[in-house]
Amino acid sequence: MNFPSKLVEDAVNEFAKLPGIGKKTALRLALYLLSQPADNTQNFTTAVSRMRSDIRFCDNCHNIADGDLCGICSNALRDHSTVCVVENLRDVIAIENTEQYRGVFHVLGGVISPIDGIGPEQLRIDSLLEKVKQGTVKEIIMAISPTMEGDTTIFYISRKLQEFNQSIKITSIARGVAFGNELEYVDELTLARSIASRLPYESYMTAK
Amino acid sequence: MQLQNITLTNYKNYVQTNLSFCPTVNLIVGLNGAGKTNLLDAIYSLCACKSYFNYSDGQNIRHDSNFFRIEGNFLVENKSENIVFTYSVQKKKDFMRNRLSYDKLSDHIGLLPLVMIAPDDIALVKEGGELRRKLLDTTLSQLSSDYLHTLILYNKVLQHRNALLKQFAEQRLYDATLLQSFDTQLLATGRTLHQHRQTFIAALNPLLQQHYEHISNGRETVNGHYESALNQKDFALLLADNLTADRLQQRTTEGIHRDDWVFQSNGFALKKYGSQGQQKSFLIALKLAVYQYIYQQKQQQPILLLDDIFDKLDAQRIYQLLRLTSHNPAFGQVFISDTQATRLEAIFHDLKVVYKKFLVEDGVVTVFE
Ligand SMILES: [Zn+2]
Repeated sequence: MNFPSKLVEDAVNEFAKLPGIGKKTALRLALYLLSQPADNTQNFTTAVSRMRSDIRFCDNCHNIADGDLCGICSNALRDHSTVCVVENLRDVIAIENTEQYRGVFHVLGGVISPIDGIGPEQLRIDSLLEKVKQGTVKEIIMAISPTMEGDTTIFYISRKLQEFNQSIKITSIARGVAFGNELEYVDELTLARSIASRLPYESYMTAK
Repeated sequence: MQLQNITLTNYKNYVQTNLSFCPTVNLIVGLNGAGKTNLLDAIYSLCACKSYFNYSDGQNIRHDSNFFRIEGNFLVENKSENIVFTYSVQKKKDFMRNRLSYDKLSDHIGLLPLVMIAPDDIALVKEGGELRRKLLDTTLSQLSSDYLHTLILYNKVLQHRNALLKQFAEQRLYDATLLQSFDTQLLATGRTLHQHRQTFIAALNPLLQQHYEHISNGRETVNGHYESALNQKDFALLLADNLTADRLQQRTTEGIHRDDWVFQSNGFALKKYGSQGQQKSFLIALKLAVYQYIYQQKQQQPILLLDDIFDKLDAQRIYQLLRLTSHNPAFGQVFISDTQATRLEAIFHDLKVVYKKFLVEDGVVTVFE
């Protein structure tokens, strides 16, 4: 793509680095900003750069926060004895949007994956273990992707927890057939897992 | 199962070709380099999602084009299946069944069973274990999606475990719990694969013997022997025993990924002691036994592709092979390629085989009804 201006070219190249944005869309965005009053662009860049420079991460759960603690951890009405372990911030938002969960979170920052150079030290596993050592946590819910790496991470954390706390309850979110799916369209692996981790009928009914 | 027709667009040396096949024997003749093998490989790719000869998808695009497309209409248990495989430089790979794209290519494996024999396959008998493991894996994956998924998982866990062993050595640390987290998954998947391979190899041996006798008139006892470290020792014990070696060599030294399938004739290794003729007869018998096994298990006849395998076979063996595969209710649709038509056609006439002939010249096909 050829540009009449180096300034436009630089802006387009920056936009194009964002996920899901190609060169054409980047050019459209840049030209749109040019067509609007200069204040709009000023407001846009200020908001983005303030978000980046002023954002904090919760001291307790590593969720995004405006202060030392995030809105969830500083909420006394939440159940602080139940901790839901998730991979990233997106998962926190997804679970919060269900409005079903009243406990708190712990954001790992990924899953164990040696081929990508990610070991336990690269994740926030130590701070989770520290939190449990303090003794107020009764249940850990593993809400981690049902992949090989996810399973490994769950296994590792569970073992580490059991090394010093035998009584803690460790659960994992149910894996299997999605609600509203017809069985014949579910792939065999998912179906096999759903059968292996089947639930008693009554608890299935009350879970809704 | 049957391939009714195929359309190739910008595939290898084919610009645009549409061919209808007959349900029995399809004879594809032409000089070397005319495109016979490309046509068979296109058929193979529609069933296996990739080239038989390990060509990358990009390598299969015709010179000066930026995409290829293969479309085939199959008849599977009287139901028609439309399969389209497209690859373009920009959009990459797309595999469609009845106009719906697959999410995962592995979901397609096994729908259209097939067996192919090509001249270079003799390396299966002559060379290292990797090729034999690949034959085990491609065969068992066609038969069981459980096998395929477990294999994908095993290979992934293995990669992680090896990376981890390397990191332990580099960082001079060792976390037994972390290694164990991967070992549990390696054990579960490894044991499943071992079970599948053991059952398959044992069941294949009688078929192998039977086909070998048919083709070679030989009286030798032939068999494939499954060599796996898991035969003698439980996988968990094996990993425990190898821990020091694994850490030292920074990789998983023993396991399913080191299995071999040793071919023998009268108890001697065919690789070392077999003659050229014995090896070639064995290879063909092996592939036909695989064909028969898939047929038994799936209750469906695979497509058989014989690519240019007659060159170093004597007339007697060619006759036996064609009698076995072309005029026998045990075999279904067959595709045969050869540089010359006359010797095979003479046999077909003698055996009263119904066949259709295709002449390939530089990517252009002439059909003889
Ligand atoms: Zn928090």
